[in-house]
Amino acid sequence: MSNPSVLASLWTDSREIVAEQYEYRELLFQLTKRDVLIRYKQAIMGFGWAVFMPLLNTAVFSVIFTRVAPLHVDVPYPLFAFLGLLTWNFTASALRFSVGALTGNINLVTKVYCPREVFTISSVLVTMIDTLVGSIVLVAIMLYYHIGPGWAVFYLPLVLLIQVAFTTAVGLFISMANLFYRDVKYLFELVITMWMFATSVLYPTNLITGATGLVLRINPMTAIIDGYRDVLLYGRSPLTPAFMWTSVASLAILLCSAIVFHRAEFRFAESV
Amino acid sequence: MSAPVVFDGVWKKFKQGERHDSLRDLIPSAIRALAGRNSFTDLQTEEFWAVEDVSFAVGAGEALGIIGPNGAGKSTILKLLTRILRPNRGRCAVSGRVGALIEIAAGFHPDLTGRENTYLQGALMGMTRAEVAAKFDEIVEFAGINAFVDTQVKRYSSGMNARLGFSIAAHLDPDVLIIDEVLSVGDMAFQEKCLQRMRRFKSQGVTIVFVSHNLQAVTELCDRALYLNRRPCLIGASSDVISRYVKDSFAVSSEAHQGEVQIASAELLHPDGTAVLDAVAPGARLRLSVTFEVVKAIDDVMFAFGVHRSTDQLLVYEGHFSQHELGLTTLTPGRFTVCFEFDSHLIRGQYYFAVFAAHRPTQRYLGRLRPAGHITISESRTWGGVADLNVNASLSTPAPTLSRVAGEPASVA
Repeated sequence: MSNPSVLASLWTDSREIVAEQYEYRELLFQLTKRDVLIRYKQAIMGFGWAVFMPLLNTAVFSVIFTRVAPLHVDVPYPLFAFLGLLTWNFTASALRFSVGALTGNINLVTKVYCPREVFTISSVLVTMIDTLVGSIVLVAIMLYYHIGPGWAVFYLPLVLLIQVAFTTAVGLFISMANLFYRDVKYLFELVITMWMFATSVLYPTNLITGATGLVLRINPMTAIIDGYRDVLLYGRSPLTPAFMWTSVASLAILLCSAIVFHRAEFRFAESV
Repeated sequence: MSAPVVFDGVWKKFKQGERHDSLRDLIPSAIRALAGRNSFTDLQTEEFWAVEDVSFAVGAGEALGIIGPNGAGKSTILKLLTRILRPNRGRCAVSGRVGALIEIAAGFHPDLTGRENTYLQGALMGMTRAEVAAKFDEIVEFAGINAFVDTQVKRYSSGMNARLGFSIAAHLDPDVLIIDEVLSVGDMAFQEKCLQRMRRFKSQGVTIVFVSHNLQAVTELCDRALYLNRRPCLIGASSDVISRYVKDSFAVSSEAHQGEVQIASAELLHPDGTAVLDAVAPGARLRLSVTFEVVKAIDDVMFAFGVHRSTDQLLVYEGHFSQHELGLTTLTPGRFTVCFEFDSHLIRGQYYFAVFAAHRPTQRYLGRLRPAGHITISESRTWGGVADLNVNASLSTPAPTLSRVAGEPASVA
C-alpha cells in the first residue's frame, strides 16, 4: 500500500467515526443517563463516593506529608493533594469503568448494532459528572484557604479537554483489549496503582531528578494535573512545554486508538 | 433502484471449540498474524463455515421468510443484516432505516423503570427523544403496561418485558424490518396483535426479513421464503419452500413403528386411481391407499387415519376404524390394502397424513407411519383458519336497497 492511500483510508475512517458518533448521539445521552440513574438508585451514597473518596485520601496523605515527612509545596498541602486526587480519580475511575464498558454491555454488543465507542465514551462522561460534583468540595477548600483562580481559569476548559481526550484514548484501547483478553482488567488494576505514584498527584514530580524524573515528566497525566494546578491554584498559564507535548500526544493517541477500535469493532460480537 | 436488502454470495465463518481469551494467547496469535497466516476470507484450523454462499434480494414491501433447522445459520444471517457481523466473503447491503426485532428487550436494564428503558431502547433502535416522547403513550398502550410504566423492569413478568420490547420496535418507522422469532413471546392475543402489526408494516411498503420456526406464521406473512441449511437449499414462493422443508425434516424425524401389523406402503391417489402429483383444490375427493402386512396373527385391531397441518403439526382430523367395520374377520399373516377416502375440506397450505394400526384392548401401537404422504391445497379465498367450509356469500336484500347504498336516488313508487 502506498502512503497516499493509507492517509486516505485514515481520513475515511476518521470521518466515519465522527459521523457515526453524531448519528448515535441520542444513544450516548441515554447510556450516560442510564449509568448516572443506576448509580443514584443502587448506591446509598450515590455521588457521595465521588466526594468522599478523594476527601478521605486527602486527609490521610495530609497527615503523612505535613507531619511524618513534611513536603514543601507552594499552596496548602491539603488543597494541593485534593486537586491532584480529584483530577487523577477522574481518569482512574473513567478507565476502571471503561475496562468493563464492552464486557459489561455484552448483551448489547452482540445483539444490537451501534457504534461501540459509545459505551466507552459514556463511561468517561459518567465519571466526568461525578468529578463535577466532587469539585464542589474543591471550591469549598479553595474558599477556606482564600485561594482563588485568576484570569488563568479561562484555560480550564482546555485542560479538561486534553484530559478527556487522553482518558478516552486509553479507555477505548483498554475496553477493546479487555474484550479480546479478559485478564486485561487484572493487569489494569496493577498498572493504575503504580501509575498514580508516577504522577504528580500527591507530590510534585519535579522533586525527582535523574532518569526516573525524566520518565515521570513525560507521563501525560503529570502534565495534565500540573495544568489544573497552574490554572486553579497558581493563577498562571498552563501552556508549558510539557503540557503542549501532552496535548499533541493525547490527540494523536486518541486518533490512533479510535481508528484501531473502529477497525476491530466488527469482530467484537464474535469474540465473546 | 436496487432492492433494500441485498445478499450477494455471502460467506461467514466462525471458530470452533474453546475461545482463547487470556493474555497468554496474545503471543501465539501475534506470531500467526506476523506469519501472515490469519486469512480473513479462507478457513483456518478450527474454523467452519456457518453460512456458505447465500444470495438473495428483498424488494420494498416484500416479506422474505428464512426457515431451516437449528444451526442452519439463520441467526447469523440476521446478524449480518443488522451489521453486527461482517461477512468473510461477498457483500450484504441494507439500505434505509433498519428496525431489528431481535432480542427485543436486550437493552433493558433491570433497575430502570419502564419509562426510562423505553427511551434507552428507543435510542438503541435509532429513535430520537422527541420521537419516543411523541409515541410514548401509544407504545405503552400497545404493550398493555399502562399501570407499570414507572415500575422497575426487574419487577415485570417476562411477558411484559417482551411486550414492551416489541411495542417499542413496532413504533419505529423502519424501511427494513428484521424479525427473529419474536412471536414466541407473549400470549395468544398479543401474538395475533404482533402479526397484524407486521402485516400493516408490509402493506406500508416496509421490507421484511422474518426468521422463524413457526412455519404457519411464515406462511401468513411471507410471499417468498429461503430454506437455509448453511447453504441455501431453496428460495422461492413460501408455500413451495415450506413444503420442501417439511419433507426434508420428515426425512430425518419420521416415525415408523413396525410391530405385528406393519405398514408396507401408502399412496395418495385421485378417485380415478391416478397418483396425486400437484396441489389440489379444496374439497377434492382423495384416497390414501395404505398397504398393511400382518406379521403375526392378531385380533381386535383398529386402523387410524389422521391429517396434520405441516407448518405447525396441528391435528386437523383423526378417525378410527375397527377391523370389523372394514370387514376383516381375522388377521392372519399376509398383505391387504385399506383405502381411506375423504373430502379435503381444508384451506390452502401443506398437510401430511399419519396412519397407524393399534390393538384396541391395550391401546398398543402395532404399526405406525408418519408421514404417510403429503398434500398441498391451493386456493386464494380464505384468509385464516383450517377448514374450508365452502362458504358462499350472496346478496339477499332486494335491489332497490342496494341502489340507495350506492348513493343513487331511490325511486319513489
